[in-house]
Amino acid sequence: MSLQAIARKDFQETVRSRGMIALVALFSLLVAAFAFAVRPTGGSEQFATELLLSVFVGPVLVTTLVPLVGVVVGYNAVSGERESGSLKLLLSLPHSRADVVFGKVAGRGAALALAVFVGFLLPAAVLIAAPIAFNPGAFLGYTVFAAALGVVFVAIAVGSSAAAGTQLRALIGGIAIYVLFVLLWGLVTGRLLGAASPVVDALPASSAQVRAFLRASNPTTGVEILSNAFLGEQLFSGETVNQQVSAAAMLVFWTVAPPLAGLLKFDADDL
Amino acid sequence: MTAIELRGVRKEFADVTAVRDLDLTVEDGEVYGFLGPNGAGKSTTIDMLLDLVRPTAGTVRVLGSDVATAGVAIRRRTGVLPDGFSVYGRLSGRKHVAFAVESKDADDDPDALLDRVGLGSDADRAAGDYSKGMRQRLALAMALVGDPELLVLDEPSSGLDPAGAKEMRDIVRTEAERGATVFFSSHVLEQVDAVCDRVGILRDGELVAEDSVEGLREAVGDGATLEVSAPGADDPAVDAVRAVAGVSSVTRDGDGLVVNCASDAKTAVIGTLEDAGVAVDDFHTREASLEDLFLAYTEGDAAERDPDATDPGSDDDAPATEEVGR
Repeated sequence: MSLQAIARKDFQETVRSRGMIALVALFSLLVAAFAFAVRPTGGSEQFATELLLSVFVGPVLVTTLVPLVGVVVGYNAVSGERESGSLKLLLSLPHSRADVVFGKVAGRGAALALAVFVGFLLPAAVLIAAPIAFNPGAFLGYTVFAAALGVVFVAIAVGSSAAAGTQLRALIGGIAIYVLFVLLWGLVTGRLLGAASPVVDALPASSAQVRAFLRASNPTTGVEILSNAFLGEQLFSGETVNQQVSAAAMLVFWTVAPPLAGLLKFDADDL
Repeated sequence: MTAIELRGVRKEFADVTAVRDLDLTVEDGEVYGFLGPNGAGKSTTIDMLLDLVRPTAGTVRVLGSDVATAGVAIRRRTGVLPDGFSVYGRLSGRKHVAFAVESKDADDDPDALLDRVGLGSDADRAAGDYSKGMRQRLALAMALVGDPELLVLDEPSSGLDPAGAKEMRDIVRTEAERGATVFFSSHVLEQVDAVCDRVGILRDGELVAEDSVEGLREAVGDGATLEVSAPGADDPAVDAVRAVAGVSSVTRDGDGLVVNCASDAKTAVIGTLEDAGVAVDDFHTREASLEDLFLAYTEGDAAERDPDATDPGSDDDAPATEEVGR
């Protein structure tokens, strides 16, 4: 099938990408260093793995570096081929433009997920060697969330790449995605919320609820909500279940909507 | 069936009209050479065949279907060698062809195809290390996947050395013998001469001529170009040559004159110069080559010229070049 052929082609290309390999190696080293640095010296702590992930590795490394790798892997997916001319080779074959966009999301997302798993191997080795209670289930589960976060950012970046006519615009789009979702989400949505307070007051929801929704609707904080619930053994249960469901729904939204929006523009363009 | 059918196709970009009201038909099994200088609209036309670019007006049908609605199905039966493409630098040649095989649901052996285009020993190398000519061969191998009914080749010989260009022609011929329709563009005429059933010449987005190569040659007429080395030729002498019946133009080129004339006017030209007291050191003639013919259509006004107006009394069997020393 056409989409699978493109996905496989892009996967093979992306796993050979030096940029991604370098970023993932850096990520792996940093996580391992963190794991080593904050390892408990006593032997009494039972939740060491979970604590390490949710307090140290998660907020400091995963939610900043994994989206960065996702954007790097995705931002030039379509625009790069368009500018270089390899898109001509690709569309000379029986592929639709939708196959191209979603095949790239799938192939590059899979490559990034693989890289994240590989990147977590070294920290796992450190944790196993360290004198703590290593919880492989929690660790592996967390890795899945980290990979999912990366895939969402690949999807957003590929969508932006499909809409961008040139590499420069794609680069600007990629940077904008990263800055908005990773660095400024709280600030921007806080300002908006402040500016729109009359509107918010009129909504049949408290501003705390709106705030909680905005938190869940950013893929970065959304993954944080879900992974923390998972590490606290409260995934899709407990007090925050509603917020978790919105966060999961928003992750699906961010995986599908940006590529669709990008495709709309890409499909109408002369190439 | 009709392999390619363009009706009233027009393409306007923001600042230029690339193709205007183009009607073009290529029959099944035909080898059609699509000629024109760079910028004439050839690539835009080919991009419209592939649905990379959408026409402003008109319809484009390939293999019986509209490209706007059946593009994927059409491309499953078409092999394309695009112009100005690039390869996936990190993937090997074999992976490229394997990707085309998978994309087309074909069962070709990538190595056999790479052998056929002369890349057999480079199959494992990353395509990013290939030369321009090798990339061209690689794209041709991808185009040949699945024995397509239609081959669309955009400037297939670009980047190839003469031997490579000949191999390309041989492959085109083999594919045509297999029954494939071949549509290829070129700005080099000699490639077309050897393999085409029919030729169309595009100028400024319009088809200015369409015929067999022989037909076009006849239409332009078999005038000759006479190059005369005559350092002493002055203006009156040049004017006298211009006045000779059958001479269409005279231009000075350093010490020499370049005279375009009917073949049987050559003697009169030399005679007129000698009568005017000009010493003719040397002269030679050239039959109108395909290159001249091509230039006549793409730069001059041959398209509007009446083919019957050319002098019928010329000797077709004369050698293309004759040199006379004096």
